Amino acid sequence: MAMIIINGRAVECAEGTPVLKVAVDAGFDVPFYCFHPGLKIVASCRLCLMEMRSKDPKTGEMVWSPRLIPSCQTPARDGMEVRFDSPNVRQNQRAVMEDYLLNHPLDCPVCDQAGECWLQDYSMKYGNALSRMTEPKTVNPKKSVGSKTLLYQDRCVLCSRCVRFCREVAGTNELCVIRRSSYAEIDAFPGIPLENKLQGNVVDICPVGALLDKDFLYKQRVWYLKTSKSICPNCSTGCTICIDHNNGRVWRLRPRTNRKVNTWWICDEGRFGWKYVHSNQRLLAPMLKGARVTWDAALAAAQQLLAPAGKAQQGKGVAVVLSPMMACEEAWLLAKVVRAAAPQATLVTGFVPKASADELFPVGLTDQAKAKFIIRAEKCPNRCGVEAVCKALGGPQATFADFLAKAKQGTFALAWIVGGYSQEWVTRDCSDALSKVSQLIVQDIFPSSLSARADLALPSCAWVEREGTFVNHAGIAQPFDRALPPPVGCQQDSQYLYRLAGMEGLYRAEKVREQMLDKVAELRDLWTPPAEARGMH
Amino acid sequence: MAFEPVLSRNFNVPGSQSIDVYRQRGGYRAIAKALEMGRDAVAEEVKKSNLRGRGGAGFPAGTKWSFLPPNRTVTYLCVNADESEPGTFNNRYIMELDPHMLLEGILIAGYTTRATIAYIYLRVEYHKAYRILQKALEEAYAANLFGKNILGNPDFSMDCYIHRGAGAYVCGEETGLIESLEGKRGWPRIKPPFPAIAGAFGKPTVVNNVETLSCVVPIIDRGAAWFASIGLPPASTGPKLYTVSGPVKRPGCYEAPLGLTVRELIEGKDFGQGMQDGKKIKAVIPGGLSVGFLTSDELDCKLDFDDPRKYGLLGLGTAGAIVIDESVDLRQVLMNIARFYSTESCGQCTQCREGTMWIYKIARRIASGTGRLEDLDLITEITATMGMMTGRSICGHADGATFPLKTLIKKFRLDFENYIRNQKGVAEVIAAQ
Repeated sequence: MAMIIINGRAVECAEGTPVLKVAVDAGFDVPFYCFHPGLKIVASCRLCLMEMRSKDPKTGEMVWSPRLIPSCQTPARDGMEVRFDSPNVRQNQRAVMEDYLLNHPLDCPVCDQAGECWLQDYSMKYGNALSRMTEPKTVNPKKSVGSKTLLYQDRCVLCSRCVRFCREVAGTNELCVIRRSSYAEIDAFPGIPLENKLQGNVVDICPVGALLDKDFLYKQRVWYLKTSKSICPNCSTGCTICIDHNNGRVWRLRPRTNRKVNTWWICDEGRFGWKYVHSNQRLLAPMLKGARVTWDAALAAAQQLLAPAGKAQQGKGVAVVLSPMMACEEAWLLAKVVRAAAPQATLVTGFVPKASADELFPVGLTDQAKAKFIIRAEKCPNRCGVEAVCKALGGPQATFADFLAKAKQGTFALAWIVGGYSQEWVTRDCSDALSKVSQLIVQDIFPSSLSARADLALPSCAWVEREGTFVNHAGIAQPFDRALPPPVGCQQDSQYLYRLAGMEGLYRAEKVREQMLDKVAELRDLWTPPAEARGMH
Repeated sequence: MAFEPVLSRNFNVPGSQSIDVYRQRGGYRAIAKALEMGRDAVAEEVKKSNLRGRGGAGFPAGTKWSFLPPNRTVTYLCVNADESEPGTFNNRYIMELDPHMLLEGILIAGYTTRATIAYIYLRVEYHKAYRILQKALEEAYAANLFGKNILGNPDFSMDCYIHRGAGAYVCGEETGLIESLEGKRGWPRIKPPFPAIAGAFGKPTVVNNVETLSCVVPIIDRGAAWFASIGLPPASTGPKLYTVSGPVKRPGCYEAPLGLTVRELIEGKDFGQGMQDGKKIKAVIPGGLSVGFLTSDELDCKLDFDDPRKYGLLGLGTAGAIVIDESVDLRQVLMNIARFYSTESCGQCTQCREGTMWIYKIARRIASGTGRLEDLDLITEITATMGMMTGRSICGHADGATFPLKTLIKKFRLDFENYIRNQKGVAEVIAAQ
């Protein structure tokens, strides 16, 4: 550890951390653009300059350096004394802010970034109200740099974060800086548009409104958005994300900094993987033998189906397929409900969708330990969690493949099957095997051949409408919040399971988790990434 | 005592570009001597000569070499031949008229620093110098002066490549040069690490100017003591190739010991021989554009490493004087300078990228006849917001821009005020609008 003095206040930090990061983490107001904790330091925006106290070689006295020093490029050393509040430093901040706005179009009213723009914030804090430039502005072009991203070069501050991201994290090098001087622009190399699988991050790390997400363009003013903390359900990495929503709709997803899991990034698969939530194809009401029924009728029917099957042979003929898309709490509740009626019911970890291989970034890397980001081949968030729940509950268990094999032999009289996938998942094999099961309860987001022939089909909610805990591939358990209410007519899955389990009141993931703690060790250490200081995320 | 030419001694010899003529005149004697002396002795000799870099900054060459880490395995030598400072063409003379002197300097420096590859980073516009250097290099390879076991020495092998730039002023900055050499955009790097620790391709690298390396040859050949006796010791030792351009009778490149005054360079019979057709000097840029301006009253400024600072200049620079006579409209001078530095700014640091362009826009407006008196103060104020010397930029480009701009306005303020009061634009500028 090192102790450094910033603006006269002692701050403790790890030796070698950039002074800028130490200062911002400690709550000091230091403007900057080019620094990003996940990227190489270039010290080019020259906004974070500071003064440092050092020994005068002639007199041996400690004096403030007349020269300004970039704080991002200076590692903290024990006993160092720096300041950001001297007239010289302030004068530089004002001058740089004036420079940034010389050629900026000041089109905040039509800019998507307005409201979360560093240029706006810094102008208010460090800038001038009026520009002293009377000449015409240099106008740099607007262009599309990829199928998902727009670049408004006239708003760019040339911090080069996006260029460094493509180089250092994605490893695909699509972006570069072309031309010189005030005409310098970000551009994609000819014939190599920005199409890598992490490209959405360049929009997030752009501190101004230069890089824009075409999907979000002109959709919402950011100050109307409400943010919920969630986990991405698209693969077993379990990236922490922010869901930005308004008026009952999701508008965009952003990464939530998480040093243990996804650092600062998410992939495009996750970023744009929420569209199905607002699909008009969703199953929105419980269906009893193909006919729409009320929730009360549906839940009564579920109990009526479970009771006789559970009585025969202590319920050996009953199976419950717990989807790896479910949260731990939901899996626990459902298993409990089924086991209450059928104590010997078989617990099955549901279908695990898989891609061919993990995708490592920077691309071309093969060593997982060196990867800066990994998109996992396992396309579900909670296989580990569901397996842990099953293990904790004991009793008869089966893998999904075993379950299908046994089902084919007609072992099961009743199966409660949970889907919850964003895409069609029922294969021919699966539906063939399940045709041998005499009674089916299906709980899913979308209608399928399975739900069509089910005795009882229950609508399931998408993850943005639920709360619970996912355990990722590495065994890290992370809770996620509910962002939206369920669609009209639906209930949160856990809410009706709650009722079936005979519990009262509203479902809270926490309450269920408390019951689980003794049994499911994986949930004892919940990991919620600490909130990072502004700009360090 | 007449000065005996050192660096330019072969310039007027017929066939001076060929290895045979160079050898006849004592060439490649120094490298043989250096190989006999051993690395440490050569390094010591260069240090003793107090040779300071001729590229503009004037950093002691021997000290620069000593920064290399002792346990290094690979070392590169980069020869800065990206001579793009306006008004400067002494490197061009060396490369076009005595290429083998440069190659011998490269050999001695390479031997001393244990470099295995030397890259000559050549300004792309120097087509003739490229052809001549290429031919000289082929001759040198044929004579076993480059390649494996040079001159039969089992301990010294070095290759040399000529890399041509792509026309960027900022690639004359040593780390910009290295980036460009590596095939990247020529953006100067942040320091530390300095090139001596992690330079080209991440390896310890020495970057020296063409003239600096050329000076190493006579230092080894004739000794450090002799070299250090030339010029104004102890700070400014050795000969220097001065260039002078503008409306003088005899513009060109001339050699003299360090410490020549600007007046001598313009009027001396061995140098510029005075102004053409009775033209009168208005201003002189004595050392490459970046150092700033002298008025006609300041011609006694000595061109060494110390004196120019007393006149508010950046330093000696490259000792390439540009003379401006009274018929020139200073507003056009201002505009040209501002345009040069704004278009050559690499675009990395905000103040330099935006500030230089802003100044250019103001300068263009002044030249078009709509200047305001406060513009002069504004330009001066903008120049104070940029530069490496105050820590506001990564490289010295912004300093190079501020010195000519602020000295021009400071020293010729009355002229500018008169221009602005008259409000008559420069015809060409108005026509171009």
